[in-house]
Amino acid sequence: MSNVVIVTGASQGLGLAIVRALLEQDYRVVALSRHCSEPLSELLKMQPEKLTFASADLSDLNAIPALCQSLLKKHGRPYALINNAAVGHDGVLATLHNSQITELLNLNLQAPILMSKYLLRSMLLNRVGRIVNISSIIAQTGFNGLSVYAATKAGLEGFSRSLAREVGKAGITVNSVAPGYMQTNMTQNLSDENLKKIERRSALGKLATPDDVAAMVVYLLSEQAGAITGTVMTVDAGSTA
Amino acid sequence: MNIEQKIRHTMEQVAELSQCQLVNEIDDDTVLLQSGLDSLGFAMLVAQLDEELGFDPFTQMAIPVYPSTFGEFVSIYRQYSEKTRE
Repeated sequence: MSNVVIVTGASQGLGLAIVRALLEQDYRVVALSRHCSEPLSELLKMQPEKLTFASADLSDLNAIPALCQSLLKKHGRPYALINNAAVGHDGVLATLHNSQITELLNLNLQAPILMSKYLLRSMLLNRVGRIVNISSIIAQTGFNGLSVYAATKAGLEGFSRSLAREVGKAGITVNSVAPGYMQTNMTQNLSDENLKKIERRSALGKLATPDDVAAMVVYLLSEQAGAITGTVMTVDAGSTA
Repeated sequence: MNIEQKIRHTMEQVAELSQCQLVNEIDDDTVLLQSGLDSLGFAMLVAQLDEELGFDPFTQMAIPVYPSTFGEFVSIYRQYSEKTRE
C-alpha cells in the first residue's frame, strides 16, 4: 500500500508540524508550498529519502489539474491528502477588499476541492485513502472580522461530510480537523492580550499547539481511524466546550 | 488496441474492482448508467483512463458535457485523443 501523503501549506505553522509528525510515523511526505521555508529546508536535508518539496501556488486554480498530474507521475498514487493551505485575512466585511474575498474563497475552499478531486481519483483505484481538511473552530463559532474566513471553513466542513458519503464505499475516509487558536503566523494579528484571554477561557487553561493538531491528523491517517469519516475533530484545548 | 477497445477493457477492470456486474451487450446506444457501473464506477473509469491514456477529456473541455450513452462516451475520448496527438 502507498504511504505517500501530500500536505499543502507545508512550509510553516501547522503544515510544518504535520509534516514533522508524519515523518516520525515513517510516511513519505510531499510538502507543497509557494516557497520552501528554512525549517522545511532543514527537514529536507535531514530526511531526503522520505520528504520531497514541490513548489505550488494553489491560488492558481487552473494550474491544479497539471500539478496533480505531475505529483502522480513523480510519486505514484498517494495514500492521503492533507488540505492545510489557507489564508487568514481578517477585517470587517463592509471594508474587506473584494480581491481578498476572492483570494479567501479560492485558496481556502476551491483549491482544496480541486486538490481532492484530482487526487482522490487514484485513491478510488487503490480502494483506500484518506483526505483530511483543516478547518477551524471559527466554522462553528463567530468571530468579529472573520466572516469570510469562517464561510470558507464552514464550506470545507460541508464539503467533507458529503464527499465522505460519496467515496466511503471505495474505502476512502474524509474528515475535517478544527483547531482552536494556536500561536502561529496566522494568529499574529491577535494581540497577546487577546490570546491570553482565549487561553484563560479554554477548559484546559491553555492554547492547543500545532503539534496537538498534527497528532490528530496522524491519528486520522492511521488504521485505527478507519471507521471515522464525515466528521469534524476539534482540537482546541476546550475553547468551545 | 483502439480507443473503444481500451475503454471496454478498462470498464471490465473497473467493474471487477468495484464489484459491479456489467450488462451483457454494451453498444453505442447503451445508456451509461444502465451499463452496470454506478457513478462512482464511472469516476474510477475516468481515473483509470487518465492514468493509461495520459489525458482526461472532461478536465480539458471548456464547457461541461456529460455523455449519456456509451457511444457518446467513446466519441469524446476519440475526439480528445486526436487533439492530444496534434
